[in-house]
Amino acid sequence: MKVLLIEDNERVAQFVLKGLTESGHTADHAANGRDGMFLAASEPYDAIVLDRMLPGDIDGLAIVEALRKAGKRTPILILSALSEVDERIRGLRAGGDDYLTKPFAFGELLARLDALTRRAQAEAVQTRLEVADLRMDLLARKVMRGERDIVLQPREFKLLEYLMRHANQVVTRTMLLENVWDYHFDPQTNLIDVHISKLRQKIDADFERPLLRTVRNAGYTLSSHD
Amino acid sequence: MKVLRSSALRLSIGYTCLGLAALALFAAPLWYAWRVTIEDSRIEILQADAQRLADVFQREGPEGLRGFLAARVGMQIANERLLLFTDPQLRPLAGNLSAWPANVPVAPGNYTLKLILDGEPATVVLVHDELAHGYHLLVGRDIAFYVPLERRFWYALIGAVAILCSLGTLGGILIRRALMARIHTVRRMVSAIMQGDLAHRLPMREVGDELDTLSQSINRMLTQIEQLVHGVRNVSNAIAHDLRTPLAELRARLEELSLTRPAAEVTFAEIDAAVADVDRVISIFNALLRLAEIDSGMRRSGFVTVDLAEVAAAAVDFYQPAAELKGSHLLLVRSGPASVQGDPVLLAQALSNLIDNALKFTPADGHIVVSVTRGADGGVLLSVADSGPGIPDADRGKVVGRFYRGDASRGTPGVGLGLSLVEAIARLHGSRLELTDNHPGLRACMALGQDTRPIERPVVPAAPQHGELQHEPVYP
Repeated sequence: MKVLLIEDNERVAQFVLKGLTESGHTADHAANGRDGMFLAASEPYDAIVLDRMLPGDIDGLAIVEALRKAGKRTPILILSALSEVDERIRGLRAGGDDYLTKPFAFGELLARLDALTRRAQAEAVQTRLEVADLRMDLLARKVMRGERDIVLQPREFKLLEYLMRHANQVVTRTMLLENVWDYHFDPQTNLIDVHISKLRQKIDADFERPLLRTVRNAGYTLSSHD
Repeated sequence: MKVLRSSALRLSIGYTCLGLAALALFAAPLWYAWRVTIEDSRIEILQADAQRLADVFQREGPEGLRGFLAARVGMQIANERLLLFTDPQLRPLAGNLSAWPANVPVAPGNYTLKLILDGEPATVVLVHDELAHGYHLLVGRDIAFYVPLERRFWYALIGAVAILCSLGTLGGILIRRALMARIHTVRRMVSAIMQGDLAHRLPMREVGDELDTLSQSINRMLTQIEQLVHGVRNVSNAIAHDLRTPLAELRARLEELSLTRPAAEVTFAEIDAAVADVDRVISIFNALLRLAEIDSGMRRSGFVTVDLAEVAAAAVDFYQPAAELKGSHLLLVRSGPASVQGDPVLLAQALSNLIDNALKFTPADGHIVVSVTRGADGGVLLSVADSGPGIPDADRGKVVGRFYRGDASRGTPGVGLGLSLVEAIARLHGSRLELTDNHPGLRACMALGQDTRPIERPVVPAAPQHGELQHEPVYP
């Protein structure tokens, strides 16, 4: 995917650009709001990552608002050192699609970007999800792997649904906390790992090929291929 | 005019003016009534006199009245009465006026006018009566007779005004002096406090007057400020301590890497560990920022109706695997929906912190009971009770202090901010975190929703320093 990064901090910008390039994406960089605004308005991008606070007269939120006003639907991820909830809400209200507080792990950024671009591609209502031989019927709330019924607790169902919707992507622990449990804080525990291992017990234990994998230093992925 | 700027003096001047106005309001009608009554009675007397003389005229004719008047003028004290009896051509026949005064109209009636009497100007009241056959009779009186009386009235009034003014000024000066003396004390104290001695308090007198009330408020404010400063100081110390440890580890790790240049595998493992160290530092920072955010009270604007029973169910659901893993029992007791006004994210965080704490300290096969019950007052009681070792009575106040870690928790993960976060969240919701004995174990509970009035200002509880007693947070 083609990403525009609007970030004034040289080090952070290099870190993100390098990471994106290494993950096989192309990235453009603008170091101030004016250039960023110009690039965002003139070039087609799959996603925009921008800093909330930029030098000069155009700040991050102004860019988001201007792009949305101009009818651009490009997914936007806002980076910010401001973590207060009000700031987060302001960013999302301006038209941002996700908000990540600095400092962040690159894995987190990449996983969120992936989720954003996929979401932009397929927003259609799905009633059935399928990953390899794992099938989920969202209406009947049934899960099957191969020919076998898998009985899940409601929360496990929601967890698996999220993983299946983001199949073949890395899903971070924070993403799971926010989207499955609606916990917008850090509970300072490794409980997500425990929930995942319980789920793994149910969907992977008796099968030859494990679907749910741990991605080191990042999170988990439910993958359909080896 | 510095003196005029004194509020005490301004007040006393105001009161003096008010007194003067009251005096005027009192004296003016009195003066008016006095004037009218005296004047009326004066004329009545003169009229009665004139009537008597007219009777004499009727009985004895002009000659009789002339004789009567001559006799009377001879008898009376000088100027007691002005009398004149004239024929129809206004020629004087008898009386003590030598001629018909030019400015007295010929028509009968009552007149008050100026005359020249014995060469002196005088104000007189005259009753003019027209008798039968065109004879005229004037009966009058010099008003000068009443002047001393009037003068006495005015003297009394001026005296009263003078006394009022001087009393007012004196009172003002005395009040100002008394007030200034106390204000000077307050000012001296305040400047001492401004120089950093926060232990000072304003002097209180037992009388409980307005200044005492003010001093009391200022003292309460000082207590709060002292606690805040104390809190900040302790937090700074605690941050310094808690951040220094992971930072020191991090530094040591990196320095060792830089010095020894080990094999790539070892290097990568060390870098991973270094990232974990940094993450720990960040999570402490985040927790502190969160606390500051909650303490600022800004989050109250985002209050919505939250069903605590749902929040509790989600939290129990989230922590259930951890309990299972440990072999302890995590139970939820709920009785129907329990809606309160609050911040759903923060309430979830508070509950999650309490359950996390309980799990940490409960031994295998222990019980943790999360309960959400409706109180009789319509509020909701949220409690998390465990069967762990509990907290000794003496330490209960301390655990909500930032970075406090009891002896029992040494060696367990955590940054020591959990309970102070819960306490801050409780405070934001107008409640308090109460820790009681669960026989055995700890019972942490908060009563929410029965008082929707937000607390004016959150107070950061000061973490105790060197065994000093914990101050109770003071709510205004």
